[in-house]
Amino acid sequence: MFSKADNSAAWAVVLALVLFFIGGSITTVVPPLVDKSWGRPFSNQDPSKGPTGHLRPYTALELQGRGIYVREGCWYCHTQQTRTLVADTKRSGWRGVDSPISTPDEFVYDKPHMFGTKRTGPDLSRVGGKYDTQWHRTHFRNPRDLVPGSVMPPFPWIANNDAEFRALVAYIQTLGRAKDWRPDKDYEK
Amino acid sequence: MPEISASGAAAAKPAVVHADTTAKWFVVSAISYFFLVGIIAITIAAKFVWPELLGTVAPLSYGRLRPLHVNGMLFGWLLAADMGISYYIVPRLCGVKLWSEKLGMATAALWNIIILGAVVSLMAGWNQGLEYAELPLPLDVLVVIAWVMFGINIFATIATRRYQQMYVSLWYTMGTILWTAFVYITGNFATEFTTGVNQANLNWMYVHNAVGLIFTPVGLAIAYYFIPKSSETPLYSHKLSMIGFWSLSFVYVWTGAHHMLHGPISQWLQTIAITFSVMLLIPVWAVVYNFFATMKGQWHQLRDNVPLKFLMSGTVFYLLTCFQGPMHSLRSVNAIVSKTDWIPGHAHMAVLGAFSFFAIAGSYYIVPRMWNTKLYSDVLANWSFWMMILGGLGFFVTLWLGGFWQGWQWNNPSIPFIDTVVALKPIWLVRFCSGVLIFSGIVMFAYNVMATVIGRRSYVQ
Repeated sequence: MFSKADNSAAWAVVLALVLFFIGGSITTVVPPLVDKSWGRPFSNQDPSKGPTGHLRPYTALELQGRGIYVREGCWYCHTQQTRTLVADTKRSGWRGVDSPISTPDEFVYDKPHMFGTKRTGPDLSRVGGKYDTQWHRTHFRNPRDLVPGSVMPPFPWIANNDAEFRALVAYIQTLGRAKDWRPDKDYEK
Repeated sequence: MPEISASGAAAAKPAVVHADTTAKWFVVSAISYFFLVGIIAITIAAKFVWPELLGTVAPLSYGRLRPLHVNGMLFGWLLAADMGISYYIVPRLCGVKLWSEKLGMATAALWNIIILGAVVSLMAGWNQGLEYAELPLPLDVLVVIAWVMFGINIFATIATRRYQQMYVSLWYTMGTILWTAFVYITGNFATEFTTGVNQANLNWMYVHNAVGLIFTPVGLAIAYYFIPKSSETPLYSHKLSMIGFWSLSFVYVWTGAHHMLHGPISQWLQTIAITFSVMLLIPVWAVVYNFFATMKGQWHQLRDNVPLKFLMSGTVFYLLTCFQGPMHSLRSVNAIVSKTDWIPGHAHMAVLGAFSFFAIAGSYYIVPRMWNTKLYSDVLANWSFWMMILGGLGFFVTLWLGGFWQGWQWNNPSIPFIDTVVALKPIWLVRFCSGVLIFSGIVMFAYNVMATVIGRRSYVQ
């Protein structure tokens, strides 16, 4: 069968495509059909099943902020996924409370997705509500004023642009908030 | 190789004179981008060491230059060089002229428009937010058009070939054209209709296969052609090359989800990705064994054959990077190295160490032949090799060590995150210095090629 492709270009083309499409379709088309949680927004009212809450669509302001996050390439250095690793749930945790792991139903309204591949800075999947607006303003002006040793670039053109800054912070405060995971509800505004 | 077996027949007919105009344009513009984007590369490496560097200029910030570095190197340099070399190889393996030099020239012009458009849009922050698919939609459409033009030209050349049996490089070139079409459409167009994890899954399918089904097959087509050519030794085994090609075409596409191991994506899909990632050892070892066996008894040629130095060290890097890949995809190893600085070390070994080395070897081989002259300086070419291999090893090895160390620290939550950042600073300094070495190798390579082309009159034989 394969030797025939030595002499026939048409045969080589057909064979190369058939072999490719087997894996190609099983790994791209099939998964969202099988796993409904990929497309169904998170919603849980039963505390015995884990954190309660529900995922709501982004507001216009939050979407604008998300656009800035995409534009500035924040996602090249910050992941947005608390993986099924103990260390991740501790690092995404806050004030002694471990964070719940990220699940597909928390990201249904994310387009483009911002899972990321590289953690030069900390993961942001549960950063929403941890720091207040003033903290973020100082941090965007010069990260090293608040976190000595940080290698994050300064973003003066955002910190000094009130509309963009408010939008970006509004987006950041939504991250990980579909799951109401703080027992004391001590979220910053 | 068909060329050798058919040489008797070729002697009887008038020899084919290749114009190579398209190949020339592609190779020269690719090498120019290699140099220009190299400047961006060391700039962003410097930003890790001096975070304030150019920090107040939005278009020159890290988040805008990084995609320019990645896209510029992938599409401006490597893919363009690979296409240029394919325009050289395919007509020779088919024993005919390129089907249409005019169409080829138009493709080269369009490709340059795409790259210049990419520079403007990425620096302006017009970024689609998906890795390797950052370019805005209008440019994506142009890429598809250019790819179809490339495909038509190559397939039409193959259809009119004089030698019936196709050498392995031709299968790999055809595979590249076909698979790239679907992989690129998945990553740049299908993602428009999806969100969240579903979109991420398509994105990783594209990202992984951009390397696995675009740069790997076209890179191997080049290596399969130039290793026997530049060592003047026949390929060791046709059967092994078949095993390598057909297992690659089946196995590679399944592995995209290994980019999200332990992440919010279905466990069964993670397991499939892991299984097939390990199976990747089959096509890789078949190819690498074939290359090494071809060199049996010929290793002494490495002493003064610069293209062969690049080809064989590229093969070693290919073997290493494709051993790392399956190992990273094991859940236990992934829990340590994933998201760390190990990953850029791994990625650079694939794209720079393996596939760029193949493309550089091909360029050194074809440039003097296309312009009917000899290389400007063999000494400089040798220096470019040593600069790139020393810089490359410095880059890869320090990032692996640093990344592994970083992963261990992350897995100990009692270490504050910022301490794991500060710990990596010496690593990033070494990475910057290695980058400078690599860049100096690029400058020598680019200068050598340009001097060969521009100053060729004095060397006419």
